[in-house]
Amino acid sequence: MSIRVLVADDARFMRQLIREIIEPEGFEVVGEAADGRAAVDEFTKLQPDLVTMDIVMPKRSGIDALKEILALDATAKIAMVSALGQEALVMEALQAGAADYIVKPFKPEAVIATLKKIAEKTG
Amino acid sequence: MDVAKYRTLFLEEATEHLAEIGQALLVLEKDPRAPEALDTVFRLMHSMKGMGASLGYDAVSVLAHRLEDRLGAWKKRGAIDAPEGVALLFRGLDSLDKMVAVVRETGEAPAPDAAFLAELGEPEPTKKAPRLP
Repeated sequence: MSIRVLVADDARFMRQLIREIIEPEGFEVVGEAADGRAAVDEFTKLQPDLVTMDIVMPKRSGIDALKEILALDATAKIAMVSALGQEALVMEALQAGAADYIVKPFKPEAVIATLKKIAEKTG
Repeated sequence: MDVAKYRTLFLEEATEHLAEIGQALLVLEKDPRAPEALDTVFRLMHSMKGMGASLGYDAVSVLAHRLEDRLGAWKKRGAIDAPEGVALLFRGLDSLDKMVAVVRETGEAPAPDAAFLAELGEPEPTKKAPRLP
């Protein structure tokens, strides 16, 4: 059975890239969100197994959306999507309950390994 | 990765981003404290960095990263240095615009804007990747 993923990133480019990296590997992208508020809404609606959450997004940051989702569902598995220079924000997200993080530019094998590790934790 | 497909996606999205950055800079020119415009420029510069790096357009990602660093410092202070900071960002916008034009016209990675990078100074040192708690 495929692992249902919500991809939250304000860049279409990045959403498409994540989809193409993970879909051949047993993940199904069930929804996309282009801002933090939409990420929370789509999470509530779709109840995905896993979320990839960009840190820098409009309307609500990825970290605020992470906190809101975890307040709704403490078992939510969320991988933050970060970039060079965002170490402090990644640390804040991990302390707030993010399961792990992936770094842009993506190394496909690292993205897949990280998401599989998180999914296995889900059981 | 289908590079041609992602190049097209990059050109579409980068063109939109640069237009939006230009609009936000006009707002910041009038009000260097405009928080929404500052957030917008920071976020879109961050996005340019990520897209550029993903396609190996290092000139785009390095310049966007340097400008993002400056913007991060201004965000912390709650205002851009005016008028120098706004002028610097307009210059960065112009440079990024030219780089995107090179990608559009040649399909190749653009060359870095060495003079502007030198003017921007040294990048912030990269910190170690955080460990899971």
